[in-house]
Amino acid sequence: MTADAPGALDLGKLFAARLHAARARPYLATALFALRPVESRAVPTMGVDRYWRCYVSPAFVDRTPPAELAAVWVHEVSHLLRDHHGRSERYAREHRLTGPAERLRMNIAADCEINDDVYGDGLAHPEDCVTPHRLGLREGELMEDYLRQFRLGPDLERLAWLDCGSGADGLDRGWELGPDGAHGLSEQERDAIRFRVAQGIKGAPGSAPQGWRRWAEEVLHPPQPWRQLLGSALRSAISGPGAGEDYHYGRPARRSAGLPRVVLPSLRRRPPRVCVVVDTSGSVSDAELGSALLEVAAISRAVGGRRDLVSVLSCDAAAQTVQPVCRTEGIELVGGGGTDLRTGFARALRTRPDVVVVLTDGQTPWPAERPACRTVVGLFPRTGGSYDENDPAYRPDAPPAWARVVTIGSATG
Amino acid sequence: MPSYASTTLPADQPGAPQLAVADTLLTLLRDTTTEPRADVQLEALTLAVAADLPVLLWGEPGIGKTAALTQLATALDLPLTTVIASVHEPSDFSGLPVVGDDPAVQGVPMAPPDWAVRLVRAGRGLLFLDELSTAPPAVQAALLRLVLERRIGALRLPPGVRIVAAANPRSSAADGWELSPPLANRFVHLQWEHDHDVVVRGLGGTWPRATLPALDPERLPGAVAFARRAVCEFLVARPGLVHRLPNGESRRGGAWPSPRSWEATLRLIAFATAAGSARDVLSLLVRGTVGDGPGLELLASLDRMDLPDPETLLADPAGAELPERGDLRQAVLDGVVAAVRRRPERARWDAAWALLVRAMETGAPDVVVVPATTLASLRREDWDVPAAIERLAGAVSLSRRADAAARLAAGTAGARP
Repeated sequence: MTADAPGALDLGKLFAARLHAARARPYLATALFALRPVESRAVPTMGVDRYWRCYVSPAFVDRTPPAELAAVWVHEVSHLLRDHHGRSERYAREHRLTGPAERLRMNIAADCEINDDVYGDGLAHPEDCVTPHRLGLREGELMEDYLRQFRLGPDLERLAWLDCGSGADGLDRGWELGPDGAHGLSEQERDAIRFRVAQGIKGAPGSAPQGWRRWAEEVLHPPQPWRQLLGSALRSAISGPGAGEDYHYGRPARRSAGLPRVVLPSLRRRPPRVCVVVDTSGSVSDAELGSALLEVAAISRAVGGRRDLVSVLSCDAAAQTVQPVCRTEGIELVGGGGTDLRTGFARALRTRPDVVVVLTDGQTPWPAERPACRTVVGLFPRTGGSYDENDPAYRPDAPPAWARVVTIGSATG
Repeated sequence: MPSYASTTLPADQPGAPQLAVADTLLTLLRDTTTEPRADVQLEALTLAVAADLPVLLWGEPGIGKTAALTQLATALDLPLTTVIASVHEPSDFSGLPVVGDDPAVQGVPMAPPDWAVRLVRAGRGLLFLDELSTAPPAVQAALLRLVLERRIGALRLPPGVRIVAAANPRSSAADGWELSPPLANRFVHLQWEHDHDVVVRGLGGTWPRATLPALDPERLPGAVAFARRAVCEFLVARPGLVHRLPNGESRRGGAWPSPRSWEATLRLIAFATAAGSARDVLSLLVRGTVGDGPGLELLASLDRMDLPDPETLLADPAGAELPERGDLRQAVLDGVVAAVRRRPERARWDAAWALLVRAMETGAPDVVVVPATTLASLRREDWDVPAAIERLAGAVSLSRRADAAARLAAGTAGARP
């Protein structure tokens, strides 16, 4: 296996390093073995393309110790598993970024996302690898977050040799084999590998670090795009029977004059009345409330509720006054104590709304009976810890089944 | 420029000549060519329509859903009827009540619209219900009866009519179109996206011409057997996935697994197999029928079904064909070792060694190390080490090098603060 000719690729060393990587990270073994090494003198170190080919420089293999080479294997496969090429493409399109310098920035940001927790524990730390720490950034964030936080400057110029291939930043390289080259994987095969790895991590969560477990969670259950979900829950609540625009036979249709023997329904519009109940107890942060409230107000206005038909009610243990949102200044939220949303519901129902939207962290008693209107609950998730110091066994009820529940998180989509 | 224009287009002669020139320009603009190009989306749509399953295309407005439907109708040789749902009234689909001479005796008939009458008279056709999401709720309700029960007023659509619907995704829908889980379960959901290269090249004058899949009559019985085996074997292993109502807001209105949607999946696998479609096409269809998670799992199990059977390999190690991909190759070798463990016999053990040697000689050696270690541990006392094992020396040295790397890494990791 050892290379005889000078400068030839030392496959024995490369495969020994992969074996070590697969032993150190058993949950990545499937993905590691699916990578196809291709000898290339154009790549400075090791690089991947989106078709799961791994381009290897023979000189790099020669000068790198096997333990570090194993770390590079894991690093390259991480680019592919985390879909850095697809995410780079999307980021570039959204922010209209062009040019190789921006792609280098994406490569660096993707490296930061990988490198903060991939090494150690059996894998050597490669020399001068990019870490968030070196850029003066916080650890544990995503590529997109890092991209917003740094610019290329003189101190980053020495990283210009860095090139993990199109698999890391989405920009096709001249030395890559492209979609029609030998041994590329199809999209479905790539999905299947990612899925298998995620399943393996979920099946034996003890061995994988936090970052990989979070990744597996997202592959199997992508985060909810709560803004869209809240909007669609609200829209479907508003446009249901009894509110909004719909046909009915109560009044003759305009077409009736032309069709004397035919009975036609007519279109009638009834703008819905929306009441937003905001949980202002101490356990909900102002930032959370602010963002969610803005969404609700914007959505409900957009779907045809006239501005005077949207009202907001803040509620802790007692309901405060109802305010319309047609004022141009902000809505004043009063409260800060414990929570009892039942009073909020009762107060909101007195305005005879078509829809009640409740924004809460769910640590409250709920009304025992279904109210006479549609209900959308925007829930701020709370995990861990006890909710009540005096009674550690206390757990609040989950939102009732008659409400449409949207979990509001930091993830946007 | 003005002088040039005045020679060809006399400015003092408005009207007909001007329009004639405009027509010439329009003809020039329409003069485009096509080129063959594989189109996964269109192939998936064709298969689902051929399999007579109601398809729901989800896509932003203006990305070529209608153009795709036109192409599909040509390919299947079906006349296309497009109905824009948002400009119709519910009675256009449920039938218009027409008051006759004596309603008490004759009843009030529900008269169908003209396009439905024409469709029924033709007996075959492709009905495209566009803009489902911008129609008022009552119109949507009437349309769903049309899709699911194939009834328009007093008429019933003949079996030769295939139905495709299109809707805008919830993020861009202006009002409350949302499928309830029982309705969503009846559709094959296809996400329709535009391909940037195709659009740019098309605007440059060359549109793609998809080669559509054709069913091969020779393969039909095999396709049915394969589809039945694929779905049944999978559901035996994962009984929890037979029926799982979507929980949580994000999966409402999408595909989810149920006996009904598994039956649709089975049908789609059979059609894709008979047409010899790529896995990418099947992936779109299966995930659009039972949802992303169960769909991906089924596809992963299909990949494993394609692998050679361990018993066949053990029977003839010399003629064994091992898969190219490293991870699949390791799965096959693991399967072989597991088969030997289940029924440990001397001849099988030797055959497994021969297979490992073959794998070692035809591909990456690191894949062989773990199965070889496991196989060695299965040795009985009276079994001699086969001569073939000498040829695995490369794997042994590879394993040693990996061990050395591990020790080194542990050393450096320990030295780090």
